[in-house]
Amino acid sequence: MASNKTILVVDDEGPIRRIIELKLKNRGYNVITAKDGEEGLDLLRRQKPDAVVTDIMMPRLDGKSLCEHAEPLKQAGSFLTIVVTCRISPEERSWVARMTDTVLMEKPFSPSRLLECLEKYFEKDGS
Amino acid sequence: MKDLKTFEEFLHSLSEITGLGFEIRDADGRLSSAFAPRHTTPEPEGILELTRKIIETSTFQHASLPGAGACFGVPIPGAEEVIGVLLAYRAETTGRACQQQVSAEQGPSRQEMERLLSRTAWLIEENNRCRQDADDITEVLSQSFEDLHLFARIATQIKTLRFSDSMLRSLIEEIMESMGVDLAFAKFMDRDDRDVMVMEESLAHAIIDGQGLVDALVACTPLDTSDVTRHYFILNHSEEDPKFGSLYPDPYRFLAVRIEHESEFYGWLGLFSLNMAAIFRQSELRLLTSMAEQVAAVLANTDLYLDLERSIVNMVKSLIHAIEAKDVYTRGHSERVSEYCMRMATLLKLDAHQMETLQWASVLHDIGKIGISEGILNKPGTLTQEEYTHIQDHSRQGFNILRPLEQLKDSLPAILHHHERYDGTGYPDGLKGEGIPLLARIIAVADAYDAMTSHRAYRPAKPPEEALEILEEVAGSQLDPYMVELFVEMIEQEPGNCVTGSQKRMTG
Repeated sequence: MASNKTILVVDDEGPIRRIIELKLKNRGYNVITAKDGEEGLDLLRRQKPDAVVTDIMMPRLDGKSLCEHAEPLKQAGSFLTIVVTCRISPEERSWVARMTDTVLMEKPFSPSRLLECLEKYFEKDGS
Repeated sequence: MKDLKTFEEFLHSLSEITGLGFEIRDADGRLSSAFAPRHTTPEPEGILELTRKIIETSTFQHASLPGAGACFGVPIPGAEEVIGVLLAYRAETTGRACQQQVSAEQGPSRQEMERLLSRTAWLIEENNRCRQDADDITEVLSQSFEDLHLFARIATQIKTLRFSDSMLRSLIEEIMESMGVDLAFAKFMDRDDRDVMVMEESLAHAIIDGQGLVDALVACTPLDTSDVTRHYFILNHSEEDPKFGSLYPDPYRFLAVRIEHESEFYGWLGLFSLNMAAIFRQSELRLLTSMAEQVAAVLANTDLYLDLERSIVNMVKSLIHAIEAKDVYTRGHSERVSEYCMRMATLLKLDAHQMETLQWASVLHDIGKIGISEGILNKPGTLTQEEYTHIQDHSRQGFNILRPLEQLKDSLPAILHHHERYDGTGYPDGLKGEGIPLLARIIAVADAYDAMTSHRAYRPAKPPEEALEILEEVAGSQLDPYMVELFVEMIEQEPGNCVTGSQKRMTG
């Protein structure tokens, strides 16, 4: 059911990338991974994934900047962004809230909730 | 088999060098192939048979296949059995068949092929195993993340030291959601008012009485307290036990953990699931156990707290009895003043903490009289200046008596200052107006009114309307005028008080 969806996973921590990748692949998604925001942005532009799961604290380009760069891309075709972070401060909440189709998820995150969140989005999306 | 793409490239390079084509198959057919130059080859006749033979014998095999010539193959072992084969043969292309046949014979020997293929198969096997291990470890890690996530959420819920129904409910909801079960509950042995039960919507549609199901489950759960190590009860399949099987039409799983603190057994924390494809995992049991421990610890804390509160109430009661035994005038006075004060507090919309503080202060406001001699307290006539000074000392004495009690510390200012006068001429500190604590100003009004309307050996009780008039007279000098106004209104509105002060004022 999810076979036609591609998810981009951006995180500088290998184990986290692996967990998300495995869980998504087992659910039938295509998964592409990036280990920092810059790599993520490049893949985002070239491969146009259906959803992005990103960390905030990353080398080169952080998750916030990645989201900001992603905003204009969302005009062309909407996609979901899930920001996974361990520091949920009010200011973090407020910039995430300003973004289109962007949700915040706290670390330690629950892989099953992440899947649920994606599924809900795709269901609502009707595609 | 995992990641065959990587090997396809590797085998392709090998094919370029050796001129042999490579193929990975399992019993059902071709999984991957590498032929240089790249092309798809038809399946040589007899290759299925050769594949089957390799899988069956689990050894190197070779055969001469029509159209392919010499064909070599080795098994690729999996964790338990052979999961596929690696084959090498010269791919047939029309026209060149004859030439290749010749070169094949000049090609590597049987032993060389066995070595090459065995080592390559070993690499594939090793890669498979590593990939599988990595996935397994990732799965375990992922599960730990789920547990961590749950712990982090639960930890914020359970920070509280005192038990509350809402705390427990959200905890149970969280457990049900995180563990993906259909019903979760906390069932207490002697406090069923604390019981909590939450169900998935689908289950709620199927059964009307969830609590009834919980009660039945708990009733069937063996209560073997002698076995200390067994702090939980698990039923992986309801059909294992006819007692449980009859409780619900569909098969279910059931896990219950004892809510226990230092051998004080409170009840059960339980999970019920209709999803028979899953099982209760060890980590879930551990998690549920620590939740139960936390809940039990909070309950034990709450019990201690309530015990402490009860002992303070009892101590206060003893103190009141002590002063009442000594001072006949105080008998019933403390309670009545407290009652007036609480009614005032309601009108003033004081918060719960202020209410509690006022209650303690009003009940105990005269406690300092314990330190005054009975001769003075019960003297029918007028007091000498010296005796009066003694009496005045009772507010400070009360303050001193109660000061060691941490729980009453907020009530102390109201006790110390309940004889201050609004104009600043009262005792002990001569505080003035708003400088007098609010609760002390409330007590002062109630105290004055009750003193006037009670019988004294040296004078009869005044009727309420007269007492109210006097209150109004001293409003602003002795008493806070706003509190007096409120008090007068409150008394006048009492049912049965038809002769009201205001009517009298209007006519008089």
